[in-house]
Amino acid sequence: MFKYLRLKSQPDKVVTYPGSLGIDWLSRDSQLPITLKHINALPEKIKRRIYRNLLPPDILSRFGVHPITWNGSDREARVRLRAEAGEGVVHLWAWASNDPNDEFFRLEIADNAYDGIDIHMLLLNDPNSPRFRTDYDEDGNPTLFGTARRNLAEEERAMEAGLAPAQIRGSLGGSKSVFKQVDAFLATLGHQAYFLEPLTYASAWVFERRGFAYVRGHKLMDDIHSEFQPGGRLNRALDDSTPFRQAEQWRSVRGRAWAIQDGILDAIGARWDHLRMVKQVGRYAGVETFPGATY
Amino acid sequence: MILLLNKQVYLLTTEAQLYYKHQITRAAEFESLSVLRDFVKEACQQYEEISEDTVYDLQLAVDEACTNVITHGYAGMNPGSIILMLELFSEKVVVTITDFGHPFEPSEPPAPDMEAKIEDRPIGGLGLYFIYQTMDKILYETNEDGNHLVFIKKVEA
Repeated sequence: MFKYLRLKSQPDKVVTYPGSLGIDWLSRDSQLPITLKHINALPEKIKRRIYRNLLPPDILSRFGVHPITWNGSDREARVRLRAEAGEGVVHLWAWASNDPNDEFFRLEIADNAYDGIDIHMLLLNDPNSPRFRTDYDEDGNPTLFGTARRNLAEEERAMEAGLAPAQIRGSLGGSKSVFKQVDAFLATLGHQAYFLEPLTYASAWVFERRGFAYVRGHKLMDDIHSEFQPGGRLNRALDDSTPFRQAEQWRSVRGRAWAIQDGILDAIGARWDHLRMVKQVGRYAGVETFPGATY
Repeated sequence: MILLLNKQVYLLTTEAQLYYKHQITRAAEFESLSVLRDFVKEACQQYEEISEDTVYDLQLAVDEACTNVITHGYAGMNPGSIILMLELFSEKVVVTITDFGHPFEPSEPPAPDMEAKIEDRPIGGLGLYFIYQTMDKILYETNEDGNHLVFIKKVEA
């Protein structure tokens, strides 16, 4: 074991310059990373030109949204950008129609405490699939994707329809395009990595397939896989006590995810929180905590 | 020319020098150490240019470095990943160990007193000393995309 080493209490800042973004600064070392806060201080039309690169054209075109104008074929705006000056956060929404329920894309990215990049939110919904009210409880209160409250009846319907926890509609299946786009966007800004916290077991599994590794939680994912095997504690806890704990659920990513949403990790004294994943720009980590998985 | 075969990348340069890249990612837990050691051995054994002694040194260096990541790098947190990458050139092996835990910086340790009785020797300190003794070059950098410890070992047939 090493003895002679120096541990840092916290990482260094990724972005090391103060002030605003201008031609003078951009003319310096092209490898120096730029924060979103610096971009957000630019004029609106420049911001729009820059953040356009976060939207995969192939996904927009599936819904007839022009990748440059962000308008639908009816010339109505279909994309909304919020990138306020003074803030290090960017929100992008896209809709298939004028109906706000037809949202098919939502992305929120932000500068983190070290001036690196975090993805706070990524939604890819198929607006043509049935909608489930898992995002509101029976009294109409937001469930915050099932993390604060649960709508058990709707969750059961969603599970039976093939959805994973936290989904309100079937997935659009475009995460590969999105992360390819985010990789390219962040490389342009000079960032070498970005981070996110997976909301569910199913989303962590998807992010593994998109090349993410774990900052925290790789061992937990290994433990979950191990304990779901026949004879394991999670497998034994699939006791049909609720609709989300049926005996065969260990066999699939979604089945495991619903059981975890139902609190089955209590059986191993664990909780689904504080997981954090990292994507190295241009690299594929090759993590596979559920080998040969069926979704 | 680049060929993709069984997750390995083969890059044939214009000088006709083969370059092979092998990568594995595992959780930073002690159970992973034997997997990582075996990975080094299996990767290197495909190339007859690499001697058994070199393979052994690389295995021990990887074992020591990864033990350190497991023990210190991810201390106090649910362990994340260790990414082990081997790049094999015609004249050297480059090993890169990446983690996302607490950054650290190894400094060259003083030589341990190998003559002292085992019970008189301080605990720890041999791992890094061993790596400095057996590897030809050691690099460490920590940045946005993780902590990277790099060993370079010249190939001795």
